[in-house]
Formats: sequence, structure tokens, C-alpha cells
Amino acid sequence: MAITDINQRKKLIAKDNVYLPHLVVIEKIIEETPSIRTLHFNFKDEKLRKGFTFESGQFAELSIFGIGEATFCISSSPTRNDHLECTINRVGVVTNAMHRLSIGAEIGFRGPYGGSSFPLELMRGKNLVFIGGGIGLAPLRSLIWNVLDNRDRYENIDIIYGARSPADLCFRYDLDSWNQDKTINMITTVDKGDKNWTGREGFVPAVLEQIAPSAKKAIAVVCGPPIMIRLTFPVLEKLGFAPEQMITTLEKRMKCGIGKCGRCNIGNLYVCRDGPVFTYAQIRNFISDEY
Amino acid sequence: MEQELRKEARKLLEEGKVDYIVGFAGGSLKFTATPLITKEKEEVASLVVNPFIVNNLAKFLTEVPGRIGIVAKGCDSRSVVSLIQDNQVIRENVVIIGVPCSGLIDIAKVEKLVNRDRDEIDDITLQGEKVAVIIGGRKTELPTKEVLFEHCLGCESPTPQEYDILVGKPTNAIGDKELSRRRIKQLEDMVPEQRWAFWKEQLGRCIRCYACRQVCPACFCERCFVEESQPQWISSVSQWQDNLMFQVIRNIHVAGRCTDCGECERVCPQNIPLRSLSKKMSEFVDEMFHYQAGLNKDAPALMTAYEQVEAEDLIM
Amino acid sequence: MATKKISKKEIAKLLGIWNQQLSVFVPSKEENVAKMVRWDGIDVSFLDWYRNTVIPCKANFLPSMERMFSFKKNEDGYHTEIPQDKQKQLIFGIRPCDARGIATMDKVFTETYEDFYYVSKRKNTLLIGLSCTNPYDSCFCTSLGLEPTEAADVDLMFTDIGDEFLIEEITDKGEELLVATSLVKQATKADDAKAKMLKATVSAMVRKKVDIKEIAKKLQACFSDKDYWEKVAAKCISCGVCTFLCPTCFCFDICDELVKKQGARYRGWDSCSFRLYTKMPMENPREEKWRRVRQRVCHKYEFYPMNFDVTACTGCGRCIRLCPVNWDISQILSSLPTSAISRSEK
Repeated sequence: MAITDINQRKKLIAKDNVYLPHLVVIEKIIEETPSIRTLHFNFKDEKLRKGFTFESGQFAELSIFGIGEATFCISSSPTRNDHLECTINRVGVVTNAMHRLSIGAEIGFRGPYGGSSFPLELMRGKNLVFIGGGIGLAPLRSLIWNVLDNRDRYENIDIIYGARSPADLCFRYDLDSWNQDKTINMITTVDKGDKNWTGREGFVPAVLEQIAPSAKKAIAVVCGPPIMIRLTFPVLEKLGFAPEQMITTLEKRMKCGIGKCGRCNIGNLYVCRDGPVFTYAQIRNFISDEY
Repeated sequence: MEQELRKEARKLLEEGKVDYIVGFAGGSLKFTATPLITKEKEEVASLVVNPFIVNNLAKFLTEVPGRIGIVAKGCDSRSVVSLIQDNQVIRENVVIIGVPCSGLIDIAKVEKLVNRDRDEIDDITLQGEKVAVIIGGRKTELPTKEVLFEHCLGCESPTPQEYDILVGKPTNAIGDKELSRRRIKQLEDMVPEQRWAFWKEQLGRCIRCYACRQVCPACFCERCFVEESQPQWISSVSQWQDNLMFQVIRNIHVAGRCTDCGECERVCPQNIPLRSLSKKMSEFVDEMFHYQAGLNKDAPALMTAYEQVEAEDLIM
Repeated sequence: MATKKISKKEIAKLLGIWNQQLSVFVPSKEENVAKMVRWDGIDVSFLDWYRNTVIPCKANFLPSMERMFSFKKNEDGYHTEIPQDKQKQLIFGIRPCDARGIATMDKVFTETYEDFYYVSKRKNTLLIGLSCTNPYDSCFCTSLGLEPTEAADVDLMFTDIGDEFLIEEITDKGEELLVATSLVKQATKADDAKAKMLKATVSAMVRKKVDIKEIAKKLQACFSDKDYWEKVAAKCISCGVCTFLCPTCFCFDICDELVKKQGARYRGWDSCSFRLYTKMPMENPREEKWRRVRQRVCHKYEFYPMNFDVTACTGCGRCIRLCPVNWDISQILSSLPTSAISRSEK
């Protein structure tokens, strides 16, 4: 959970110089949508390839030498660590450059960062409701595969995922797998379908209200654009979820990723150092309203 | 003059003619003034007029909402006019309270001449051609021309030319054109290599605090070129090359808008002689286009207006 | 620990001894701007005019621009190289406020992940404090639990007692600095008494007082008061002077430079006062100026103390002296609304 006691934070893969990236090589590229692609990559260093580990919900600072560094959540699961995956939305200098990379390109990797990851222990034995919007499925998918790879530890699973349009749906291969998994209730929706779309239409919060998963012994994990999250929480509350049962990841502009450059703070908490995973109970107690 | 100013400002608020008064109040340090931005008519009792009212308040016109009663010295009122020419300020939304000014005291110059910091000086009084400085009870007299700001020495509009209310009487500047151009002349007399070395050294000390940009009324861009990343014009960290380019490009951008208020140089924490650049640029503008910023609110802005018949002596 | 002393006439010699092993930095004026520069080996005239520098000593540990590493693309991929900066430094004349500033910054740069660049410079630097004799009217260090003449945060502390400096050895490293020289003598009880009296005199010269008791609570209570913060922020022009010249401000930006296939990654000072500091592609949580001003004040007096038990301000007064519009934080702190205002609903 969000580790706000700074003494508890873990030092992971400490390098002599925390700002010096590890080198990783791109092995595969999946074009999810016209503006989103997923990079599969691996460490150049043999030891790291074998020994690197992280927790779902954590992020990394990827960099293209000469262009810059940016923050991306690790979208692959730590249970499938033969390689790492990050999903990239093309919005600025660095991400546009990421979209021009080819297989074999070398980029920099710093991480894993994030003082709090998804609380698997808290979720154990519970019914899980995963709610994702657009590229917000990226951190969720790390968690979902993590959960599915230890399926017997968890009870019912509902996944509600939506995007603006069919063309904006990410991780279609995952959606297909989860559709076929009989232990999962997979709901996919789009804000507005196209002429080929035969599936559901509706905003994610509205669909959530229709599906109305039970709040009994349940944990809801919500990831998506801020507006979606803000509209989803009230629905969950209406369905009987207590603030401690609602989990999300917050996003802020980041640079160092380790709580030093000062940028990503919400009050006294740094999203990089104390987050990015927070419960709604914690969020409601933030001393600042800047989230 | 102060009483008259306070009376007029209060009247504007009471009669609902303006939403805000923007003027000068006494600062928290000696020989310092500070901007006063207020809606409350009681607060205008703090308005002051003294030889230290350095800020160019026109800066606030592009961010304070509503109708504004602005206290403006000559240079400031030209900045207001320049903003009107650039369509950043609507004339009807501003009540210009003109304050004639024959020159402001550059406290840094006083400090240097008496070899004391301002908090060690008891009093500074402007007395015509002389400035009386009292330290520990003892009085020193300095020639006024030695302690006025450079740009005040070169002032050509001591009485605001555009105003709605004029407080006090029109005045002349305690000017000295040559003295005001002394450092620019030194630079003009250098060969290009010397000048380049000079600016390289000066801008090597720049820390990119952007005080010069933020204090300048002519810098009203929502997004400064420095903040662009696609493409990236200059580095965001401080290196002499990028710092130099920042000043060059900024001066080009404000050419035709700069009214030589001297604020950029005053606020620089590294004492970089920025006015030498901006004033020289305004001189170029005058030479090439026969244009001075902020003198005619109905004239088109220099760089953004197109005329069918333009001066062609620039084209070789 | 018994105090020592040195004649003012011998200071240049003492610095000269240190200068043989270390890079000695002393106050100097460049274009009338006081800053710490590499000692030229001769000039100690700063003792006549020095009050405090414009750029605080944090610049020796977190420079305004710093190369983190260079990179080059060879056939077998990218190679990175960290600049080797093992130069041992000695800063002579750091004031207690600046020394406390560095001690304050230490907290954030050493927690969880050590900041390689800051920490390596810190380990290689000795701080020689110099008691104030002439505080500015904008100084308010005593309100923050500091004294202009005490320095727990330096290795040696020099105090002017007339023709001599009294020297207090604060750390072992400081003690070592005095071992190899006969210039330094034992101080007498009279010297100690004189120093004590002078220290009290200087302390009383710090006239500006700010009550920061319960400041965090007061700030928390008025956090959501938009009207209040808009008024507070009205004349701020969102430049970076206060943050860059603050001994405890540490925000930085990281950026890359590339020419052909090689370049470097740099970091440099950044400021929460800048409008685009927190800008994300879709939104900017601090687009409005009053939010940024609120962030600055709350970070220094509420958030940083919550994280590290120390206020991120040393009362040096630079922000007040050098602010282009004379925005005065001591005035703001002294006039925070005292009645608790309930947080407005989102």
C-alpha cells in the first residue's frame, strides 16, 4: 500500500548512480492504436535480465539518449519476466521519438520506481473489479496478469474496460484472452462505436453502474484518465464500496522518479516516491487538492 | 502629489469606474516600493509616489482581470500604449493615472558610491541637482545624475503622454543623454570579437531565472519560445550559448515594444547589463523604422502590422 | 572542545595551506554580485565587505547546470560516462543560514536513493563557517531556530573578535584542518568571553521576527482559501529568483543534448514558480499563479517539515532582498488567517 513512512521504502536495484540508466534493447513492437504502441524490451546486462524484478503498479523512467526521459508504467506482469513491456502514448517530444524506434534500438531504463504498488495481499481471497479506460489499462494489465497467474488466490474477477472508440481499444490480444477465460467476467465498451462495432456502447462509469458488481468482500482497482476516475468513484460508492476498497494510480509530471526533483508532489506526498498507487481513503485525506 | 493620487484612486473605486487599482505602495525594505493591486478603497491610502517607484506596472494589465486604474510613469504609460497597440489591453478598460517623473534613484548606484548597503543608509532625499544621503547621522551629497537610473537619464517622456488623469504637474527629466548611453557607447567602441567576449562572459553568469522576461510588459506570450519543445529552440538549463541566444531572441521579440523602463536590468540578480542590449535594440528600431514604442495608441504595432508601401532601404 | 584563534593577518596564509590540498572557495564580487569563487591565492579583502553571497552555497552541491553523464553511440551500442569530479573543496566563509540550508537539503538528497552527484560533492567538501557581524534588515534566521553565529552544520566556525578570529572545531574533519599549522593558537578565556558577548550582540541585530509556531497548522487550515491566496499572489510575477537564490530550494529539471551521435544528460535548476513546471499533456494542476505561490509557501513551511522534520527556510532573506516586486514571505507568514477554514468540497 502507499508507503508514507519514508523509512519503509525499498531500495530496489540500487546502482552506484541512480540517474544513470541501464541499457535495454527493444525486442518487439506492438502498435496498439494509431497513437499508442507497446515496446517489449530486455536488459543488455545478463545479470539484470535474470535478476530484475518489480511489482505491478510500479513505473520506470525510459530515455532516448539525446532526446530525453519520460515516465511509463511497466505494463507487463512480474510473473512473466522473460522481458519487460511499457506502453507509450504519443504526446510529446520523447514519446514521439519512442514511436520512431525500431526493433534493436537501445534505450535507457531507470527503475522500478514507485513506493507503493498494487496491494496483492489485500486483494487475496477477494472479489476483484478491474475498471480501465483507454491507455489506463496499461498498469492494470500488469496487475491482471499477475492475478491470473495466481488465479486460485482470488475469487470472482470482473474486468470493465472502455475506450473512446473501437480504434482506441488497447491490448486487444489481452481482451480476447480474458473474453475466453471462463473465470472472468469481461466487459468491453466504447464511448461511441463505428459501423463495424457490435459490442457495448457507453461510458465506463455508466457501464459499471449497469453491471453493478457486488461490493461484498470486493476490491475495485480503477485506472484511466483523471476524469474517468473522478466519475467512477461516486458510482463505486453508490454500489457500496468503502473508500478503502477503491484503489487507483495517480499521475503527475515526473522527472527524477525518486522524490528529489520536487515536481510530482501532492501536498507532502510525492506520486513517484509515495505512490503511484493510492486508495480512495488515502486520497480523500490528502492535505492538497491537486490531483 | 501622493494625496492627489490617493484621492483620485479612491474616487475611481468608489464610483465603480474601475475594478482594481494598480499602483505603488511602500516596500518592506528601505528605499523600496512594491506593486499594490487592490479592490479595496481603504487600501489606496497606501499609494506612494517617491524616487523609488521602479516597477513597470503595465505588466499587470495582462493578468489582472476587469477594468483597471493604473498608476503610470512616463515609461510605464508607453508600455500601456504598446500593449493597446498589440491588442493585449483595451483602452476603455484602463484608466491611466499619469504620474510625472523626472527620474528615479538607482539604489545600487548609491550603494556603490557610499560603499554601504541600503539597510545601512538612514535616508536618501532627492533635492534637485543633488541627492542627500544620510548614514549614521552624517550627510553626503551626490550629484543626482550619478545616482539616477541610466534609462532615466535618457528619458524622453518624463510626463506621460497618454493618460486619463494627470496627478501633479508636468515635469522635465533630469536628463543626460551621454551619461545614459555611456555603457552602450563602450560596447559600440569595441571590435566585434571584444563585444562577443564581453557578452559571453556576462551571459555565462546568467542563471535563467527569467526575472527579466517576467518583469517585462512586452513579454506577454502565453508560451514563451523557451518553453517550446517541438521544436526546442534553446536548452532549458543554463549554458552561456543558450543564455546568449535567449537574450538575443527575446530582444528581437520585444523590438518595437520595449520602452526602456530599465526593469530587466534592475531585477537581474547577476547584474547582467541587459539594458545595454534592449536599449540598443530600440535604437536600431528607431534608425530602421523611425519608430519608438508606445507613443501613439492608434498606430499599428511595428512588427505585426503590414503596410502595402514599406520602407525598402533595408533591402539591399 | 577548547577553542582556538588566529590573527586576521594570517588568514591568507591559512587559506594558502589549505589551498595546496583542496580547492578553496571564498566570497568574491563579480559585477558587484557576491558569490563564492575559487580563491585566487592572494586576495582576502572580502573580510572587509562580505555580508552574504547572492547565490547561496547550495550552488557548490547542486549547480545551476550540471552534466550528469555523457553518451556516445558506438557500433556495439551506447556508452555512458560520468564526469569524474573527485575534487576536494573547502568553502570558507559560509554563513550559518547557508550552512543550515545545505543540512536541510541533505535530507532529501540522501533519503532512500542517494543522489550521486550531490552526495559525492558533499562528501568531498569542507565547510568553514563565518559568524555574521552585520545581518541584513531582511534576515530572520533567529525566527527559525538559528543563530547568526552558531553553526552545528559546519566543520569549523570562525567568529570575528577584533584583530583575531575565534575558531571552534565542530567536526573531526575540521579539527584535522588545523593540525598542520602553527598559525593557530589556543584561545584564552577572555577570547571566549569576548566572542560570547559579540555573538549576543549580533543575535540582537536580527530584528525581523516571524512567528512560525504552528505555521504548518495555519497553512493547512487556509489551504483551500482561493480568495486569500489570490490576494497573496497578486503581485508575484512568477519568475524564479526566490527559488534559485534560496539555500533550501532544490527543484531541478533533467534534459538531454545531442550533437550527431554524442551528447550528454544535464540537470539544472527549475522552479515551482514557473507556470509550466507541473504541466502534463492534458492538464496543468498549477496553471493559476495563486496555486504556485501557495505551493511554494506550503512546501517550505508545511510539506517539507512533514517529511523531514525541518523547515525548508533558513531566514537568509535573499528572497525578500532580491524579489523584483518585493514580495515578502515574512509578511505573508505573519499574516496568515488564524481562524480555521474548512476545506471546500471539490
